[in-house]
Amino acid sequence: MSEYIVDVGQRHIREVNEEIQEACRRGDRIRVVNTLSRHNLGVGLPPGAELYFEGSVGYYCGGLNTGATVEIERNAGWAVGEGMSDGHITVGGYAGMSVGAAMMGGTIHVKGDAGPRCGVAMKAGNIVVEGRIGYQSGFMAHSGRIIALGGAGDSCADALWSAEVWVAGEVDSYGVDVVVKEPTAEEVAEVNAILEPLGLADSSHNWRKMISGERLWYFESRDASAWLMI
Amino acid sequence: MCGIAGRILNAPGKVGRDLVELMDAQEHRGVDSTGFAIYGPPRDSGYVLRGMGFDKAAIDADVADLVHVIRDHGADLKADPQLLSDSAAHYCFRMEISDPRDLAAWVADADTLTDRIEIQSCGRSLEIIKDVGGAAAVADKHGVREMEGSHGLGHARLATESSVLPNASHPFWARPFSDVAIVHNGQITDYYTWREKLERQGYRFLTGNDSELIAVWVSDQMKDGLSMEQALKKSITSIDGVFTFMIANTDGIGFAKDRFAMKPLVVIDQGGDIAMATEEQAVRRVFTDECDVINYDGPSLTGLWGVGNRAMAA
Repeated sequence: MSEYIVDVGQRHIREVNEEIQEACRRGDRIRVVNTLSRHNLGVGLPPGAELYFEGSVGYYCGGLNTGATVEIERNAGWAVGEGMSDGHITVGGYAGMSVGAAMMGGTIHVKGDAGPRCGVAMKAGNIVVEGRIGYQSGFMAHSGRIIALGGAGDSCADALWSAEVWVAGEVDSYGVDVVVKEPTAEEVAEVNAILEPLGLADSSHNWRKMISGERLWYFESRDASAWLMI
Repeated sequence: MCGIAGRILNAPGKVGRDLVELMDAQEHRGVDSTGFAIYGPPRDSGYVLRGMGFDKAAIDADVADLVHVIRDHGADLKADPQLLSDSAAHYCFRMEISDPRDLAAWVADADTLTDRIEIQSCGRSLEIIKDVGGAAAVADKHGVREMEGSHGLGHARLATESSVLPNASHPFWARPFSDVAIVHNGQITDYYTWREKLERQGYRFLTGNDSELIAVWVSDQMKDGLSMEQALKKSITSIDGVFTFMIANTDGIGFAKDRFAMKPLVVIDQGGDIAMATEEQAVRRVFTDECDVINYDGPSLTGLWGVGNRAMAA
């Protein structure tokens, strides 16, 4: 597999993405340079593609990924891997707001911290954050797992549907309708199976598993004050 | 969705050029209008005025009426007014004047003319340039790239709460406080009630734009004795809506962000050489080398940056 270099600079982003797609079709491994935090880099990548982004990227990098392996050297802007259905995205530094928004499968691994509403409305897949997840992470997440090893900000796991938020470390405050459960040994083994390939499995983690209290699944007038807290 | 930006230089220089770059990179966030607040070399006395008139057939008479009000308050023009008139329905003016006896009283009198001609900034240093169109178009028309100064703000507007009019675009001057300007990304939902309260105290608002409130609200709090930092913190629990706004005066730039953390702010600060913007790719137009960026992503945040690394009065 040869390596193909894509230079971004101030070129039109559609032209850059067409060049990336063309290199994917050839089966090249792709190195994207001079990224300048530009938006929408590597959107809609095909299965089997391998990309490395030098430096930092802007919004929606790796969005709609259908099975590519993507590594971002430093930071990612909003919604890295938004709507992805499969594949693996690694962010070397900080990932901005709404990591993996509405994702439907695959794994996003953030080595630094993640911004607010990490995993917002995700439908499936896993998000692993080695640092801390921001304000209101897991907001209205339908399914899948958000796993944070370095704590969580305020309003954690707010208004969940059926997703789970696992946090090791401090949680500043819980969101609306959160229930904190003691995980079973089988559940911990499942999470460790996700962390193992990333080299992050560690039996000393003191997990807090957050799930929905299911009070907000249906509106009842007695819950009006809880709704107003959102 | 709007785009905002700020820039503080280590030493006075081409701040206009950098602000145009910052706004050009964010033009997709709001193409209705673009504006700049530029803090040029400060005067020991006298003010520079920027503004707009709306009846091109009556330019001479309306400008003369404004000059009469200036003279009524003990001030005068330091040079002939500079007028800019093109194919747009409005025209723009710039005037340099000596000190009126009482700034607030003079502004109140000048504001009786606002259906024909309005002052949009007044400062020892501040000049606000705003117009319909994108960053490059507004910069070309008004020579913004050539404007020098220590710091400034930029704004690209996508109108959500009020009409697309040249005078309803940002930045907004904190009428009648000299040298105070704001840019805002978001929507204020209770601006109408706040405006009524402030109007009862004698403040004047010229547009239907919700953001016009913020500049006056913060300045009024500071007039009542709060520091800028205290006023910014108070705004988070007092003003309802979605916002990240930046406010500038001659000392520097401050920002406040709402409780829901919807509107981003990204900053590169290299020893007091600072660029702030809604999007990281915009600040990377000014600092192109890979470097540390600060993401103000959390809720209920405020901050202050002083010009020349000066601490702002806390």
